[in-house]
Amino acid sequence: MKIIFLGTSSGAGKTTITALYCRYISRKGIRTAPFKASNLSLNSFVTKDGHEIGMGQAFQALASGTEPSGDMNPILLKPSGNGVMQIIVNGEARDSIGGCTHTDISVMMKEAYTAFDRLSEEYEAVICEGSGSPAELNLMDRDIANIGLMRERKVPAILVGDIERGGAFAALYGTWLLMPEDVRPLLKGFIINRFRGDPSILAGATDKITELTGMKFIGTVPYMELKFPEEDTMSDTGGRLEGPTPADAFLNNLDSLMETAERVGFGIEIIDEILSS
Amino acid sequence: MDNITKKVKEEIERGWIGSDTNCPYHPCHFGGQDCTFCFCPFYPCCDENFGRNIISRRGADIWECTFCLFIHRPEVGKFVMSEFGRLGIIDPKDPRIGSVFGAAKKKFFRRGRAIMVLGATSDAGKSITVAAICRILHNRGYLVAPFKSQNMSLNSKVTRMGHEIAMIQTIQSKAAGLKNPDQHMNPILLKPKGDTISQVMVEGESYGDFNVEDYYGKFVPGPGIETVRKNIDFLKNRYDFIVMEGAGSPAEINIYDRDIANIGAAKIADAPCILVVNVEWGGAFAYAVGTVRLMPEEDRGRIKGVILNNIRGDISKISPGAKELEKILRIPVMGLIPHINVELPMEDSEAMRGMKSRGNGSMVVSVIKLPRIANFTDLDPLYMEDTAIRFVTEPEELEGSGAIIIPGTKNTTDDLIWMKEKGLDKAVAGKKGKIPILGICGGYQMMSRVLEDPNGIEGSVSGSFEGLGLFDNITRWDEYRKKVIQAEGMLLRTGEPVTGYEIHMGTSEVNEEPLFCIKGISGDEKEGSFREKEMLFGTYLHGILEKPAFRRFFLSYVRGGKAVLSASEPIDYDDLIEENIRKLSSAFEENMDTERLMKILEGEP
Repeated sequence: MKIIFLGTSSGAGKTTITALYCRYISRKGIRTAPFKASNLSLNSFVTKDGHEIGMGQAFQALASGTEPSGDMNPILLKPSGNGVMQIIVNGEARDSIGGCTHTDISVMMKEAYTAFDRLSEEYEAVICEGSGSPAELNLMDRDIANIGLMRERKVPAILVGDIERGGAFAALYGTWLLMPEDVRPLLKGFIINRFRGDPSILAGATDKITELTGMKFIGTVPYMELKFPEEDTMSDTGGRLEGPTPADAFLNNLDSLMETAERVGFGIEIIDEILSS
Repeated sequence: MDNITKKVKEEIERGWIGSDTNCPYHPCHFGGQDCTFCFCPFYPCCDENFGRNIISRRGADIWECTFCLFIHRPEVGKFVMSEFGRLGIIDPKDPRIGSVFGAAKKKFFRRGRAIMVLGATSDAGKSITVAAICRILHNRGYLVAPFKSQNMSLNSKVTRMGHEIAMIQTIQSKAAGLKNPDQHMNPILLKPKGDTISQVMVEGESYGDFNVEDYYGKFVPGPGIETVRKNIDFLKNRYDFIVMEGAGSPAEINIYDRDIANIGAAKIADAPCILVVNVEWGGAFAYAVGTVRLMPEEDRGRIKGVILNNIRGDISKISPGAKELEKILRIPVMGLIPHINVELPMEDSEAMRGMKSRGNGSMVVSVIKLPRIANFTDLDPLYMEDTAIRFVTEPEELEGSGAIIIPGTKNTTDDLIWMKEKGLDKAVAGKKGKIPILGICGGYQMMSRVLEDPNGIEGSVSGSFEGLGLFDNITRWDEYRKKVIQAEGMLLRTGEPVTGYEIHMGTSEVNEEPLFCIKGISGDEKEGSFREKEMLFGTYLHGILEKPAFRRFFLSYVRGGKAVLSASEPIDYDDLIEENIRKLSSAFEENMDTERLMKILEGEP
C-alpha cells in the first residue's frame, strides 16, 4: 500500500500531515514506513545504519513506530553555500550541483525508486511526502520526489493546501491543472490545512473543487503550532529521568491534532480508501 | 468671502509662479503642484465633480472642495493665468472667469482611470507593488492616488482631517507624492477585535462592530458596496490614476460574490488588473493558473498582466517557467521582481504572530507583546537605531533588557488583566528606576495608578482597576467617545520638534511632569508624563518614535545609550521611508515592463 502527500507550496504542512497519517495507520497494526525521495535540508538525522536523512523523515519514522533508515530519504540535498548543493545519494556524497557538474537525473531517480521498492517489500504501507510544489513549470522534467515517483510507481496522491495565507482553492486547482495528463488521474483527494474557524463556511468552495477536478475533499486540519523535538533528543529519552520526553511530547501533539481534526470532520477513512485502492 | 476675493486679486496681480518651493508649507498637496492660486479663483465653482454643498456648523449652506486638486495641476494653473492675461481679467469678480473655468475644465478635466493589483495570497507583495506603481506614475508627472477598498489591519494612522485609515495607504500616498492621505483612499477599515469580530470603520470613522456573517450578509451588500462606489467615483474626479490594492486572494470562491475588496471593486472602478504572485514559497505557477481559472470567465479578462515577485537568486532561471505560464494563461508575465530588502512598516499582524525578536543591535528593548497589541508599527523606527527588539510574554524574559516599552492595545483593561495574570505587572514595576520604561497609548493608560471603567466601555469587564502605578495618573472611560487627532509639537526638555497622532478612548488626569507641548487649535496643550529620576515615560502619541527627537531622548536613558547614539547620525523615519520607496520603485522600473503598464492603464486590451 502506498500514498503520497503533496503540497501546493513548501511549508503547506506535508511533513506534519504525513507524520499524522503514519501515526494513525501504524497504530492500526500496519507496518508503516515514511518515504521522501529527495529532500533539501540543512538539518539532517543520522540513522543507525549510518545514513543521513532529512529530519522530517526521522520524525515520521518515530510516528510510525519504526527505526529511521537510509531508504526513507535516499536523496538528500545539502546547500553548501554560494548556490552549490551537495548531493547525498543513499548515504554517500556523490556530486554537487550549482557549479559545473551535474549528476544525471535518471541515475538519481533509479536509486531513489529502488529505495522505495525496498521499503515496499519490507513494510505493508509506505507513506510518502512530496517536495515543494509538484507544479513548478521550470522544474517538472527534473522532478524526482513528486511527479517522478507518482509516474514510475503509480502512487496515488493527496494535495495539501495551506489556507493561512489565502488562495488555497486557487493553489489546489492550479496544481491540478498544471499536472501532466498522465499523472493527473493519480490526484485523488485534497486537504485544507491550517484552518481557523468553522469549516462549514468552506462547503461551497470545496464542492466546487471536487466538481472541477474529481478530487475528494478529505477535510480541514485546524491551525496548530507543532513543536518538533530536537535532533539529539528524538530517538531516546534524551537523558531525562522524569516527565515526558520531547519525543513523547511530539507524539502527544500529533495525537491532539488528530483529535481536533476528527472533531471537525476530518475524513481520514477517505485516505484509507485511497491507500488500499 | 471678501478675504478670499482680496487674496485672489493679489494672486492675479502677481501672475504665474508655478511650484513655490520657498513656501514653508510646500508642497501642501502634492509634489510638483502649481501654487499660483493658493486660493481658487473659481470658488465656488459649484461643479459636482470637484466639491459639494454642505451645511456649515453655523447652519449656512457652503461649498466644500477640500480635496479638489484641479487648480493645482501644473497645466491648469498655467493655462488659467495665461487666459486671465489674454482676456485682461484683473478683477476676481469678472464674470468672464466662469468661462475660463469652463475652458479649463474642457481642456484638462478627464475622469481618472483605475488599475488594480491583486495578489494570489496575502503577503504576495500587493502593497509594495502599489507603492512602486504610484511612484513610477508620480515620476512621470501624473496625479495618482492609492486605494484599498477594504483593509483589515490594526495598524492605522490618522489623517490631517482626523480620519483613521490603514497605515499602508499612508505610505502608498507618500509614494504617490501626496502630502495628505485621506479617508477616500481606504474607505473601509476592519480592525479585528477577536477571531471573528471586527470594528468596521467607514471613511475613517467607526461604523460599528460586525461578525463575519453580518459583515458579508448585511454590511457588504448595502453600505459596503455603496461606500466603495462613492469613493472610487470621488477619486476618479480628482486623480489621473487610481492604483487599487486587492485584499488576500481574489479567488476565494466561498465568498466570491460578496467580495468587495478584489474583483468586486475592480468592476465598480472598471479597472484592469495585475496579478502578483510571491514565488518564495514555491507553487507560484499553480497559484497563478488557479487564481485566474477559478474566476468566472467574464472576470478573467480583467487580468492583463502577471508579476512574479520576491525571486531570490538568479532571475533568469525562472524565465522558461514564466514563458510557459504566459502560454497557458495567454496573459503576459510583465515583471520578474527580485527579492528587495525594504524597510517599510509591517502591514500584517500575521507577520508578527510568531515573532520573538527583531534586529540584533546592542540595546535590548523589550516590548510587552500584549494579546490585543495595536499600532505596533510604532516600534518600527527603533530598528534604525542600534537596538534588538525582544517581544515579551513572560516575566523572566524581561531579564537583561535595556529598556521596556508597553505598546498600544485594542483593549487596555483586558490586556492589563492579562499582564496581571502573567505576573508582568509586578515584573515591569520591579524594573522602575533601573531601566527606562515607556508606555504608548494603551500602555501609557496602564501605567496609571487607577483605571476606571464603570460602564465597561473599554473592556469586557467593568469597574475600577489598579494600574501599574508607575504614574500618579487616573484614567477614565466616562463615555463612549474616541479621540482621533494628528499632533505636532515639541519635546519639552529639549525643544525639538515631534509629530504623532492619537487614537483612543478614555482620558487621563495627569499629575506628572508633561513630556510634550502640542500645538492645538485652541492654544498649546501639555501631553504625556515624565519622571526623569525613575526613567518613566508615557504618552498618548502614536508614531512618536519616528522623529529622532524623542526616540533618541528615550534611548539615551538606556545604559550606554548616549554613547551608542552619539556614534551615528539621527535619521528621520520619514526620510528612511522615502529612501525605501525610491529603492522599491527603481527595482520595479528595472524589472517590470513599464510600457506594458502604461498600455494597461490606457485601457488597451
